[in-house]
Amino acid sequence: MSNAAEAVPEVINLSAGEKGFVDEIKALGATHILDCIQCAKCAAACPMALAGFPFFNKRVIQAILLGLKEMLLDDTSIWACQSCNRCTEVCPRKVNPFEVMQAMRRVAVREFALPTLAIEGIKSLYDVGHAVYLAQAHENRVKVGLPQKPPSTVAHPTALRELQALLEQTALSDLGIIPMGKSGVKESCEV
Amino acid sequence: MSKIGVYICHCGENIAGAVDIAEVKKYAGGLPGVALVRDYLFMCSDPGQDLIKQDIKDGLVDRVVVAACTPRTHEPIFRKAVEDAGLNRYLFEMANIRDQDSWAHWHDKQGATEKAKKLIASAVAKAALLEPLTDRYVDVTKAALVVGGGVAGMFAALDLANMGYKVYLVEKKPSIGGNMAKLDKTFPTNDCSACILTPVMVQVGTHPNITLLTYSEVEAVDGSIGNFRVKVRRRQTYIEWDKCTGCGACVEACPAKVPDEFNEGMSNRKAIYIEFPQAVPKKAVVDIAHCLNCAKRTFGTQPRIHSKTGEPILAPCEKACPTGACDRSLSYNPDGEIIELNVGTIIVATGYKVMDKAPFKEYSPQSPNVLTAMQLERLLSATGPTEGEFKRPSDGKKPKTVAFISCVGSRDKNHHPYCSKVCCMYMLKEARLIKEKYPETNVYIFFIDVRTGGKDFEEYYTYCRDLGIKIVRGRVGAVDELAGDRLRVRAYDVDMAAPVELEADLVVLATAIEPSPGLEELGRRLGITCGSEGFLKEVHTKLYPVETPVKGIYIAGCAQGPKDIPESVSQARAAAAAAAVPLTAGKVLVEPLISEIDAEKCSGCGLCVPLCPYSAIGMVQHGDKLRAKIDPALCAGCGVCAAACPSRAITLHGFTTAQIEAQIEALTFSGGDLNV
Ligand code: SF4
Ligand code: SF4
Ligand code: SF4
Ligand code: SF4
Repeated sequence: MSNAAEAVPEVINLSAGEKGFVDEIKALGATHILDCIQCAKCAAACPMALAGFPFFNKRVIQAILLGLKEMLLDDTSIWACQSCNRCTEVCPRKVNPFEVMQAMRRVAVREFALPTLAIEGIKSLYDVGHAVYLAQAHENRVKVGLPQKPPSTVAHPTALRELQALLEQTALSDLGIIPMGKSGVKESCEV
Repeated sequence: MSKIGVYICHCGENIAGAVDIAEVKKYAGGLPGVALVRDYLFMCSDPGQDLIKQDIKDGLVDRVVVAACTPRTHEPIFRKAVEDAGLNRYLFEMANIRDQDSWAHWHDKQGATEKAKKLIASAVAKAALLEPLTDRYVDVTKAALVVGGGVAGMFAALDLANMGYKVYLVEKKPSIGGNMAKLDKTFPTNDCSACILTPVMVQVGTHPNITLLTYSEVEAVDGSIGNFRVKVRRRQTYIEWDKCTGCGACVEACPAKVPDEFNEGMSNRKAIYIEFPQAVPKKAVVDIAHCLNCAKRTFGTQPRIHSKTGEPILAPCEKACPTGACDRSLSYNPDGEIIELNVGTIIVATGYKVMDKAPFKEYSPQSPNVLTAMQLERLLSATGPTEGEFKRPSDGKKPKTVAFISCVGSRDKNHHPYCSKVCCMYMLKEARLIKEKYPETNVYIFFIDVRTGGKDFEEYYTYCRDLGIKIVRGRVGAVDELAGDRLRVRAYDVDMAAPVELEADLVVLATAIEPSPGLEELGRRLGITCGSEGFLKEVHTKLYPVETPVKGIYIAGCAQGPKDIPESVSQARAAAAAAAVPLTAGKVLVEPLISEIDAEKCSGCGLCVPLCPYSAIGMVQHGDKLRAKIDPALCAGCGVCAAACPSRAITLHGFTTAQIEAQIEALTFSGGDLNV
């Protein structure tokens, strides 16, 4: 995790801001970003602002409005968003700040600006169907009388293949961030 | 012996919170002449007034002292109550134990209580000596003067004229229209300013009840409500306006170049000029200071005769003029002419001036690409120096990045501590006009905070954000000139919590709204003061917003403080309504609280004559001597003469020497310490 001191350069050069960045973000789902008036209500509700991440919701929005794409890509704060959606609940302007976070993540993924941890999560999702999956938990499950594997994709190879087939159809597979192709499904969605 | 009733008001907690009412009540009861004392939560309420009325009707009191708030707002109410109960309205006195006591000494309850006693004692002492006085009425001249021909002045004039009153509209510039005539579009509707203003100007110019006096200034004002005598100086135009048709032929011909005020110095005009294309009246004036006197044609001289042709050698303007309005053989009085007007009421609507950029050294005012918002307004206007084409002054190229800087000179103790109120909106408007016409332009607005209060304004702001106009919160610290005519704007973005800088092609300064030059002097002539910020002061911000301390003189528009167009128009029409009241009534009440000279006592020294600020005193023949005499219609009751008269010949009714001395005595000699 980067700290504020390295994330924020001494002087931000607005002239170097990327034109059209807002439109890109809008197209990626943050449809209402221009309605933000920087009132900071979302930041007041955000756990990641509390945790001290430099680019929390409101600040991410301002950076996007100013076209400061590089600066956002250099920092991993956006991955710290807990998807708790509190910001979306409280925003008085219906900006849907969480969607902004999501859109920014989409940009980051496209630009390969994602932290190792995020890559591991995606790989795990593809491999077992869970972004976070502890194989060591099997023993504990047995101890408390649960089946070794949960009744999810982990225990159902067909379901897992379906999921993998779906993921292979997404932009993620084109980017090649993780190796894919295990499902063996090519052009059709039949598994 | 008089029977004085003392009525002490609690004013809710306002007075009772600091003054021990019970103690004061007891004290007042012991004052000489006091027949009874009562207290009440709100004396000005109906039940409060009924207390007084009942006591008068019951024959218990024949003089009334109310100890309460300020006579400024409440004296008329109580005088009326006294009168309704059958007593002369001047047998009433007020002690201000709120504004001057409980409010001022809120944390010193003991002191406030003692002071209340003193103030009441003083009022009671005066009340004992009050005499019944009779109100008088003076006839009102059914005409009005409006000073200032901007949007506020025009609407005030039109309303009064439409009510059937004669209106004189005095305007400094050659044409009416004011600042609004310079604007391109107007928020929040983005109407074209000229399109909505020109018809109003034409209405004013052609109204049978309105006499337009442009290129004129108020020189002196005498008299008082109902009968003001006004001297207006009509500046010399050096053109015979009766003959001038506004064809502009002379303007075409004139070679002299002078920075054009109407275009905020962004282009040149000629020495002979018509202020702007839609001017009303559309007449030429000669700017004598810049006239080249071509062909040696100074005014008032006969033309030289051409040796070969035998024709007179005329100046180009003169030669071009098809009607002979521009005739340099005529000798004009450079001082213009004085016009005397008699009016019943006056409205002052002298507008504002946009602050110049020069004092803001940190923003590179020397750069031609650093403009004031008013200059940008001209640049965007179809009648402006570029015919509405958005070009930057240094090289005529279309700016790619524009930065607006807010609060330039406003909210700044070095210049104007107040908020100019309209800048946020006009910046958004100008930014919007640019962005709508040239969507690829980068537009940044640096705000301290965005103030867009009121109907349709927040929506306007949101719309601008949606257009992609970038808002940076933080006051700009510097604008530096870079090579290639570029400008670097440096600020601190509060939302990014980081310093930012921007390279811009054009920087627009939202400079402050200032009082018009000479407003203070005009105020002095009219007897109205300006506040510390330089705008004319209304009597009461909330309840009497268009009234001034001088009865019969009203204010409207930016002369009173920064305002946008809708507000200026509303206030102008309010002022017109207020100014019409005395005109409609046909007579005004003159309080008898004025001075009178006892000719027998007067020594004829004449000392009082020059002292009277209302020129109410003259010397008249009395028997075989000259004696001072006061014209009651003009006397405002200020008392300057009474205080100055060495023979004690002057009585200010309602404030006689005996009454004042009794008050002083009560304040200084009657028991108790007054350490407040
Ligand atoms: S709460 Fe909404 S409007 Fe306020 S700063 Fe956050 S996103 Fe912007
Ligand atoms: S959803 Fe993300 S950005 Fe929004 S409040 Fe939760 S953690 Fe913060
Ligand atoms: S003489 Fe006439 S033409 Fe010559 S500068 Fe003066 S106004 Fe212009
Ligand atoms: S009180 Fe005296 S000085 Fe004042 S206005 Fe009247 S006459 Fe003039």
